[in-house]
Amino acid sequence: MRTIDKFREFPERLQRYPWPRRMSVVGFFVLGVAALTHADEPATPDSAVQAYAHRMAVGVCGTCHGPHGNSIQPKFPRLAAQNANYLAQQLKNFRSQTRGDPDALGYMWGMAAQLDDSTITALAQYYAAQAARAGRGDPALVAQGREIYQHGIISEGVPACATCHGADAHGVADFPRLAGQHSQYILKQLASFQSNMRNVAIMHGVALNLRTAEMQSVAAYLEGQP
Amino acid sequence: MKSGGTMRVLCVVGSTLFAIAAAPAALAVPSFARQTGMACEACHTVFPELTHFGRVFKANGYTLNNLAQVLDVTEKKQQVLALTKTPPFSIMFQVSYTQLNKTLPDLSNVNIPGEAQNGTVGFPQQFSLFYAGEIAPHFGAYIQATYANDSGTISIDNTDLRFADMQILGDDRSLIYGLSLNNNPTVQDLWNSTPAWGQLYAASNATVSPLAGTQIDGTLAQSVAGLTAYVMWNEALYAEVGGYHSAQQGVTNQLTGAAGPLDGTASNVIQGVSPYWRVAYEHLWSRNSFEIGLYGATFKLLPGGTPAAPSPLGGPTNRFNDVAEDFQYQYLGEDNLITVAGTRIHENMTLDASFASGAATNPTDNLTTMRFWATYYYRRMIGGTVQYFQTTGSTDALLYPPTPPPTPPATQSAGVVYSANGSPNTSGWVAEIDYLPWLNTKLAVQYTAYNKFNGSSTNYDGVGRNASNNNTFYALLWFAF
Repeated sequence: MRTIDKFREFPERLQRYPWPRRMSVVGFFVLGVAALTHADEPATPDSAVQAYAHRMAVGVCGTCHGPHGNSIQPKFPRLAAQNANYLAQQLKNFRSQTRGDPDALGYMWGMAAQLDDSTITALAQYYAAQAARAGRGDPALVAQGREIYQHGIISEGVPACATCHGADAHGVADFPRLAGQHSQYILKQLASFQSNMRNVAIMHGVALNLRTAEMQSVAAYLEGQP
Repeated sequence: MKSGGTMRVLCVVGSTLFAIAAAPAALAVPSFARQTGMACEACHTVFPELTHFGRVFKANGYTLNNLAQVLDVTEKKQQVLALTKTPPFSIMFQVSYTQLNKTLPDLSNVNIPGEAQNGTVGFPQQFSLFYAGEIAPHFGAYIQATYANDSGTISIDNTDLRFADMQILGDDRSLIYGLSLNNNPTVQDLWNSTPAWGQLYAASNATVSPLAGTQIDGTLAQSVAGLTAYVMWNEALYAEVGGYHSAQQGVTNQLTGAAGPLDGTASNVIQGVSPYWRVAYEHLWSRNSFEIGLYGATFKLLPGGTPAAPSPLGGPTNRFNDVAEDFQYQYLGEDNLITVAGTRIHENMTLDASFASGAATNPTDNLTTMRFWATYYYRRMIGGTVQYFQTTGSTDALLYPPTPPPTPPATQSAGVVYSANGSPNTSGWVAEIDYLPWLNTKLAVQYTAYNKFNGSSTNYDGVGRNASNNNTFYALLWFAF
């Protein structure tokens, strides 16, 4: 098994750890992945696959996500400048029907059903290469959101989001970019993490400890980040 | 004995009434969901109303396919076959109950006064089989065959065969273009504000329909064939042109008994090709979309006749010039869904044929139909629609004829479907409540209230029937799988 594949299993393996230990493990994980991903990037698909993926991104995915991944509708996430690793893994999760939040079932299980690995890589690289457009978060919530994002809420056992997603929220390795994302989309994902419909152990723990108002402020902060 | 002119009027009126009564319910097709692997909500707010994604899916020719395929390619990598392993068939079933505010006279024996039974069960009202999905790369179909309880037969229903392709322009804007071969003007349209797919999506076929309807408003549905070409730029700006020719069903040539050519036993036959056009613009922002558009067609119809009273296809025609505006606003929240839409169709009639034959009082008439509605759904589960409808137009005592007097020894007059004052003016409201226990199953109750019917609120037929007597209660079970 390639090193990068082992790291992709990481969120599942992490569930075996008790919560306090998870965070320290995550810290190591971040450093490890950052060091290793450049050494083991998936091969760039050939030009025909890239052209096919470009056409699909504009003509099919683009109807919901926008031709450059800057979706208009908050139901659909912004994909521009998203980490290619994360995107590819999500598409594979949709394909294998292991990501279970409602819109994953309703929309993406079908859309990803017939994608092969090289097309997934090409799509992920296409979106990763697009320029992100920041949205505008609710100004009243941004300050609290920034505080939670950067430093967490220690009294409630909420770790700093920046630990995994990066201080600029551009994502780190397999951890997704959140900057510029629709706040409504982030809130919906947090709800899915909380209910475990989207089964990601790290985020389940985080979401369980967040109050709704705190989620809203983090989401507002992130939507406004460039 | 009716005169030839009156006969022709009744042919026109009859075919209009038939078209309205037989206007098929607009439908959503689960085979599209199977083909795309996406839930109904991707393409529909609540069936059959389309979302933006559903509109683009349709513009792309129903060809988005996420199923395993049987493939064939040439050595030059040209794909010559892409056949979905599961054929895209669907079935739709409607069960209904209709109650009129006042029972209709029973004219089965005009010498014995009586009333028809009130409370009509349609079991089924409609039963449809669809082939709806991709046929080949860039080529898709929506084909519907329907058994209806009023005709008691299976016949072709809405059909739309599409070829579509897409180019990527500068700044990654898409240009979708294609052809539609269809049998109902506006059935190929992408918005639910135009007649073929507009509210009401389901209505009783066991009630009284007003006399007048414009040609583009379903009158010619399933009796024409049209080829149209369309472009959609950036999933926003849409333009379409094409033409329609008569393609009547169940009509044979008197001489040969074959399916054609059409002769004087057929009525309302299109002379040549009738042009159809459409422009629309849709703007998306956040969870909202707003569309505004224009559409129209010009039909030159030869009145013709019936097998019982043929009249050769020739001479002057009746020209119907239809121009319509439409709009549609949608808000698609996670919990709340709102649609406000409407259309106004204006028809100018130049009735050279009918005027010459004494089937119309005026050489020119006009008719305007408006429908506006608002629909709300909570979580795609429970919702409702309120619609206002209105038809106004020229008074023409021959086009919208009065109730003929009973012929002795008959004592009853038909009434009901006539207009005492020759006016087509009709207006009223519809309220509907819907409940969807599952996304492909709808339970609905609907009430239609008329302010005015065939020209008047009271005694509109001259034999005592009021507009409100035609108020209709309708209950529906509608599912597709």
